[in-house]
Amino acid sequence: MRAVAAIARNTFREALRDRVLYLFLGFAVLLLVCSKLFGLLTVGDEGKVIKDFGLAGIQLFTMLIAVMMSVLLISREVDSRTVYNILAKPVRRWQFLIGKYLGLLATVAVNLALMTAVLLLVTVVYLREFDAGLLFAAAMTLLEMALLTAFATLFAVLTRPMLGTVFTLAVFVIGHVAEDIWLLTQHVDSGIVRPLVVAVHAVLPNLERFNFKAEVVHGLGVSSGEVALTVIYGLAYTAMVLVLACARFRTKDLV
Amino acid sequence: MAEIALSVEGLHKSFDPGLFERRVDVLKGLSLEVHRGETFGFLGPNGAGKTTTIKAITGLIRPDRGRISVCGLPHDRLEARARIGFMAEQPYVYNHLTGREFLEFHAELLALPRARVGARVAEVLELVSMTGAANRAMRTFSKGMLQRLSLAQALLGRPELLILDEPMSGLDPVGRRDVRDLILAEKERGTTVFFSSHIIPDVETICDRVAILVDGTVRAVGEVRELVAQEAEAYELSFVGGDAVDLETPLLASHRGSDAWWVRVAGEHRDALIRELAASGARLVALSPVRSTLEEFVLRHYEGGGR
Repeated sequence: MRAVAAIARNTFREALRDRVLYLFLGFAVLLLVCSKLFGLLTVGDEGKVIKDFGLAGIQLFTMLIAVMMSVLLISREVDSRTVYNILAKPVRRWQFLIGKYLGLLATVAVNLALMTAVLLLVTVVYLREFDAGLLFAAAMTLLEMALLTAFATLFAVLTRPMLGTVFTLAVFVIGHVAEDIWLLTQHVDSGIVRPLVVAVHAVLPNLERFNFKAEVVHGLGVSSGEVALTVIYGLAYTAMVLVLACARFRTKDLV
Repeated sequence: MAEIALSVEGLHKSFDPGLFERRVDVLKGLSLEVHRGETFGFLGPNGAGKTTTIKAITGLIRPDRGRISVCGLPHDRLEARARIGFMAEQPYVYNHLTGREFLEFHAELLALPRARVGARVAEVLELVSMTGAANRAMRTFSKGMLQRLSLAQALLGRPELLILDEPMSGLDPVGRRDVRDLILAEKERGTTVFFSSHIIPDVETICDRVAILVDGTVRAVGEVRELVAQEAEAYELSFVGGDAVDLETPLLASHRGSDAWWVRVAGEHRDALIRELAASGARLVALSPVRSTLEEFVLRHYEGGGR
């Protein structure tokens, strides 16, 4: 486990020393601080708009950080061949990949925590309230990002960085709309589209399961059973994707 | 009988270059043995399969067929890899780390006792003369510094088998001397050193034995002296009063000096040449045997494919 921890620490340190991360983080914080403007410009409950807008912004920027950093940092390790020095040592390939994954997840978690702290501060300053529900929504976003980072890790070992980024973004988009498209196809009699959507729906994760924004913003209750199922779904799916990534990387020739 | 530090038997490896292209066979039944404590040079032209062999030994690629063992253990076992120190062809390092952080990271991978990491890192930094630059970011290092740091990470775990892929490529003469001295120091310590190189004089200076790899198979292996002695002897002759152009005896080389001809002839044709010179009225001025060098031996294998 020491090798996994060392690789995770090195990945986290590499991410923290990368300017791209601060660019994303800067934009996200700016957006959250400016959310008051959107609240003013929108018809409706200002507090709900700020929270909704804030959570959506956090999800978007955390997703961008997760996708870009994951594919970039894993591919960079292989392309720049620093992986040679690691794997010629007594380190298993799965230890390398899981170490990279955990380092990336730590990076995503720290950024998500920072953005959530800014959103909480914004709500305290503008709305004079502390909404613990925002922490719950952020935790579910982290679970979603854990799964997305696992997909980014899988694509990083399967293909080139550019394609890996595109594929991971596609998983994010499809994962959020697959349920809607599937429901839509139940009412459409199309020979080709329906089996295709059923296949996509079966293989790709339903990322909408992790979306509790509406419940938090509107103060609706969420049952503990639903939360537990979502956590199990997220962790099981993440583990499955990581197992696939490790299996592929185990036999990959590093040329 | 010498103890075997590295054994490679019947290694085959081919690569798939892409769609609609034929697989390329890089290693074709390569076999060799490296004795414990010796310094072993691995020579071959570009594309001969040196780096592929090294990658197979270090577990970076999977051979199609064949067996590799390190200190008697299958090479893919972690215990075997713990005994290897590997320096890749290029110094592949992290730009975001300092030299010291880089070595501390690798010490963790080797699972060195935590209490000893700092001392061991300081020791290898001193060994490669990098103590002064240890806290600088690696992106500011020169090629020579990166090469030395790369060697330092290979030495961190006090390996029994040190594998170096082109350790002197791209280095200036001082850098080459430093790396050469480090290899010799490791040899003194009893470390087995296996290294590939294009710089034949360095191999000749450092190595106990060499293997010559051509087209994926080992074409010659042995002590440098033995290999050179296998070469057919040659002679250099100098004569006046004649013209080398008119000679019928086959010559290896000829050159016209200010007052005499200089020619090189294979040993088997020496007497015939002397007789021909005498018959043509030329006067033999000098005759000396030519010692074949490793470089000549190697080049003949490269150019002739060893056949």
